[in-house]
Amino acid sequence: MAYTRKDVSTLTSAEKRRFVKAMLEVKRRGEYDEFVRTHIEYYTSDGEDGLRTAHMAPSFLPWHRRFLLELEKALRRVDSSVTVPYWDWTRERSKTAVPWTKDLLGGNGRPSDHQVTTGPFAYAHGNWTIKEGVTDGEFLTRDLGRARDPIALPTKDELESALAEPVYDTAPWDSTVTKGFRNRLEGWGTGRGSAAWRNHNRVHRWVGGAMLGGASVNDPVFWMHHAFIDLQWYRWQRRHRGARYLPADPPGAGDEQHERIVARHQKMPPWDVTPDSLEDVSRIYRYA
Amino acid sequence: MVVSAGGVPVGAEHGTTRPGTRRDVLRGLLAPAVVVALAPVVAASRPSPPEPRPGEEAAFDETYRGRHIQGFRTVVTDDGHAFDGEQWQVTVDGRPLHLMRRADGSWLSMVDHYRSYPTPLDAARAAVDEMGPGEQLRDMAPGPMSGERMDMGGHIHMGGDHGVHA
Repeated sequence: MAYTRKDVSTLTSAEKRRFVKAMLEVKRRGEYDEFVRTHIEYYTSDGEDGLRTAHMAPSFLPWHRRFLLELEKALRRVDSSVTVPYWDWTRERSKTAVPWTKDLLGGNGRPSDHQVTTGPFAYAHGNWTIKEGVTDGEFLTRDLGRARDPIALPTKDELESALAEPVYDTAPWDSTVTKGFRNRLEGWGTGRGSAAWRNHNRVHRWVGGAMLGGASVNDPVFWMHHAFIDLQWYRWQRRHRGARYLPADPPGAGDEQHERIVARHQKMPPWDVTPDSLEDVSRIYRYA
Repeated sequence: MVVSAGGVPVGAEHGTTRPGTRRDVLRGLLAPAVVVALAPVVAASRPSPPEPRPGEEAAFDETYRGRHIQGFRTVVTDDGHAFDGEQWQVTVDGRPLHLMRRADGSWLSMVDHYRSYPTPLDAARAAVDEMGPGEQLRDMAPGPMSGERMDMGGHIHMGGDHGVHA
């Protein structure tokens, strides 16, 4: 029986409470920090050697889809009614409205050190101490909209520019491709300044603090952001009927990308599942 | 490859060197089995250098917004021949800042992971921009990169094997 992931702005008070409680319990059990470590470990950049799975690669979408499913499994072991809500940042653009409320993720970081001091993930409550951080700071940090040099969330039009792409991804299958749905959505731009961030990447920048770094999973909004990114993959498939994950076949031995990306039927670490097997997950969950 | 004193890389290594050269160099420095687990964090995986070590040259050393940032470019040779790759050790207040290279030759840091900068110095300054007062980099190696398999609630093992399995 498929369960439903909801728009975070539609959650009832009880649903918010249960989501928060399950997150805190997964953290208390020590499982959460393993998710943080995994995300750090699988971030291989495309100017380095080695297999890229989570970023700068076609498997950006299936990798994070499976990553979310694992977190959701952990949450549902605590409370089987809980699912990961999605944050539609094309609509919910305020720094003070959902999901940044006291009964959910808490608000912006304070100006002096960006420490989040409101809501259930505030350091003072003792339930959300950062253990796997890029810095020695033990508290969650945010800098919504980047106060010193403001940046806007991606617009609906920017998201549309990704959804309009008829092809999933294209050679060289990395952060430099300018065509294809995957990188338009992942958001590696060219050039400097504000144009350097698009869609997915730009949201990480907009939230700032922990979300900007390699340990971005430390901010629970990571999951709501990635649920919305995951929803775009579903929407893109519906719009471009028959379009599939690419590449279908692994790049050959003479190809610069040989053994550096995951093709449709290859197994994707760390779960050893294929992108093919993650293209249709309608038996597991659906989006409301 | 020539790097200016300001840390500006001239000529991206990607596309100008044969595939695998970075790995080959690392093999010269570390045992292959270790390389598999540590390759992504080699730049950050040893204590900060107050002085250039043999084979390194200082590329930048400055105070930026009250932070001491240093960059050392490793001059790598292979069997006596000059190697045209580049390895960087960058520190903020003496603590290693993990940098990664993008395919277009630009650099991103562990602190600012969703965009890249033209040079290691730019990436280091951008990292400092994001650090709060008194906040210091944590040495993340070898912990997160140890390849240690941990049990996620008894259901899945993550980490370890980065290979592609057909």
